[in-house]
Amino acid sequence: MLDARNIHHGYGSETVFESVSLSVTPGEVVAIIGPSGVGKSTLLRLLALFDSPDRGTIEYGDTDVWDVSEQRRLEFRRRIGMVFQEASLFDASVRRNAEYGLRVRQPWTDRLRHEFASLVGRTNGTGAEIEALETVGLGEKVDQDVSSLSGGEAQRVAFARALAYDPEILLLDEPTSDLDPRNTALIEDAVLEARDRDIGVVVATHDMHQAERIADRVAVFLENDIIEVGRTEDVFDDPDDERTRKFIDGELIY
Amino acid sequence: MPIHRREMLAGIGGGATIGLAGCTSSSDGGDDDGPEISGETITLTTTTSTYDTGLIDELNAPFEDRYGVTVDTVSQGTGAALETGRSGDSDVVMVHARSLEDEFIEEGYGVNRRDVMFNDFVVVGTSDDPAGIGGGDDVEAAFATIAEEGATFVSRGDDSGTHAKELELWDAAGVDEFGEWYQEAGQGMSEVIMQVGQTGDYTLADRGSFLSMQSEIDLEIHVEGPIEGGPELLANPYGIVAVNPGAHDDVEYDLSMAYIGYLTGPEGREIIEEYTLEGEQLFFPEAISEEPNFQQYVPEDWAPSEADD
Amino acid sequence: MPLELATVSPLFAEFPFEWNYIRSIVRVSLYVSLVAVALSTLCSLPVALLVGFTEFRGKTLLTSIINTGMGFPSVVVGLIVLFAVSGQGPLGSLDLVFTPEAMILSQFVLATPVITGVSLAAVSSVEQNVRDAAYAMGGTRFDVALVTIKEARYGIATALLAGFGRAISEVGSVLIVGGNIAGADGESYTRTLTTAIQLEARQGRFETAMILGAILVVLVLLVNAVVVRLGSGNGGYR
Repeated sequence: MLDARNIHHGYGSETVFESVSLSVTPGEVVAIIGPSGVGKSTLLRLLALFDSPDRGTIEYGDTDVWDVSEQRRLEFRRRIGMVFQEASLFDASVRRNAEYGLRVRQPWTDRLRHEFASLVGRTNGTGAEIEALETVGLGEKVDQDVSSLSGGEAQRVAFARALAYDPEILLLDEPTSDLDPRNTALIEDAVLEARDRDIGVVVATHDMHQAERIADRVAVFLENDIIEVGRTEDVFDDPDDERTRKFIDGELIY
Repeated sequence: MPIHRREMLAGIGGGATIGLAGCTSSSDGGDDDGPEISGETITLTTTTSTYDTGLIDELNAPFEDRYGVTVDTVSQGTGAALETGRSGDSDVVMVHARSLEDEFIEEGYGVNRRDVMFNDFVVVGTSDDPAGIGGGDDVEAAFATIAEEGATFVSRGDDSGTHAKELELWDAAGVDEFGEWYQEAGQGMSEVIMQVGQTGDYTLADRGSFLSMQSEIDLEIHVEGPIEGGPELLANPYGIVAVNPGAHDDVEYDLSMAYIGYLTGPEGREIIEEYTLEGEQLFFPEAISEEPNFQQYVPEDWAPSEADD
Repeated sequence: MPLELATVSPLFAEFPFEWNYIRSIVRVSLYVSLVAVALSTLCSLPVALLVGFTEFRGKTLLTSIINTGMGFPSVVVGLIVLFAVSGQGPLGSLDLVFTPEAMILSQFVLATPVITGVSLAAVSSVEQNVRDAAYAMGGTRFDVALVTIKEARYGIATALLAGFGRAISEVGSVLIVGGNIAGADGESYTRTLTTAIQLEARQGRFETAMILGAILVVLVLLVNAVVVRLGSGNGGYR
């Protein structure tokens, strides 16, 4: 469904990756594993359509998303959800964070009415944001301010925020690297639940155990390139590439 | 009520003519297609000394009532008031510095100057009178003494009519060296009087401003002006000039002339005459006279031969 | 008690006129300052967002120009605006000299650098990852700008207050371009609290000047309180 083909990206003269290809289909979890700083975040930003790749194409369905109008591209962007390493929440209540994606998709008249209603303290949720919050186990905290949340709870709100508008693709950039085991488990459960709702998930992680736990397929990102993609058990048990084996065994230090 | 107001406006054109030349004219101005009165506001620039006495408000209220016109009064120094007229930002100017008014007319910025009223300047100072100038009526001698004794003198220093008069007096007294005793305030009359009351010894003030402030400060008059029998040199005549529509075609000339007509007519005279502060009359009207006074219309040194060419 | 009434009532007897006078002055002050601040805000926020989040040549220079503008002497602004709106000036045909609109113009010129400068600092401190989140959730560039403004709301409120404070307490430029005009009936046309205070002090009427001064201070405090309250009412305080 989302297809990156031979994309190249660099900053100035510095190349981040040469020629990367990756795809994700509905109802699967693809993990990109690799050491920190190899460009996993940059790849996810390109998949989220923040920037256009220098070379290569990114296709959604069968459409080259950088070959269409900005308005059309916005429609594609709006089928994608994203969670960052940091929660990156808005300074507002849990509910207002979770419903953000729903609000920006509403017509202006509704948004203004809603803004006004929330000024006088009378808001009615759409229901979807509550559902998303319940998925991450925060159903009872809707009316709290995000400043009162723990780091793990904040990241779960960020997850719910990306889930609430029912995206087709979910991009997760090191979503649990700052979290304790319990919160990590909650997020992983939510990822699997998203997969069961036929969402295609791409998760960048340096935690190989996490990849093993949740991913259907694994892409190994090493030395400016994805050197190997395959079913999780195949990659972990019988890697094609010698470097993959070394990386998994911890022999390869970057 | 709006209709009433419109009628008022329609009459203004006629009012202007009446005020100026005394013609009986204009049956009804509202019907013809010619340009109607364009604004309901005229801007008067005048000096702080007239404005601060409160006389202007007293004069404007009946005029505004009668003509349905608003008079926006901006009080500035004489120099600034004329400068505002020069740039066409005011419609009529009332000041008290004949030489500057003449200049204004000669440059073509002002027309139809009239004498309006006069009061006089007085030399005021602290009651202990450190230079001992009190009681005399020789203002030149008094100024010379102040300079000799080095008593503090606060000057307006703001290119106002009063400042112009003060410079003229130093000149007449033969004083051309100014030491530390001479302070230029660069402020309006009231500020300067306040300043003398607090720190200084003497200043030259117009009688109106001084009387209007008398209750606030502890100063007294040491040399009287002509109103109380002092020297003619201290006379302070006020003139009013319309801004020349030939120089600035967007000025409210006809309304200005109506205003000048009103100020120099019987009603204006009565208001000026009856305006008192602390029981004293501040200004003396001099617009209406049986004797012709052609000098008021032209620069003081103007002679017909110059115009014959 | 009757004694007190007797001493107080003469004061009130003079009040109807004074009260009208003061009320109209407050109205003119608020009208001029609020309109100027509103217009400034409309211009300042887009500029602050643009300067804050785009890289271009001369950005440092522009920022330092804005910061210099924050301390620009108001009398000079008054003079420049006077020349602009005066009969011969480029805006002479609009006939703005000695009108509240001319005062709005000069207050606008004074308040805009302040509001832009303080807002710029405020929006620049909004974290990039929060802006990214808004974009990633399907927000347009405009949505991202809105989020930035909301995140920076306390800083922007401070900017508005600073701009309003500068506008309403400023005396030099409004005196020059407005002319300090009040009608013969005591209705203010271009007389503001500050120019009125100056006039009353000049005439030695210190009681009226003090009343006006107290009103000015109370107004500024009130507006402060309202803005702070509005700012904290929406979304909660961190």
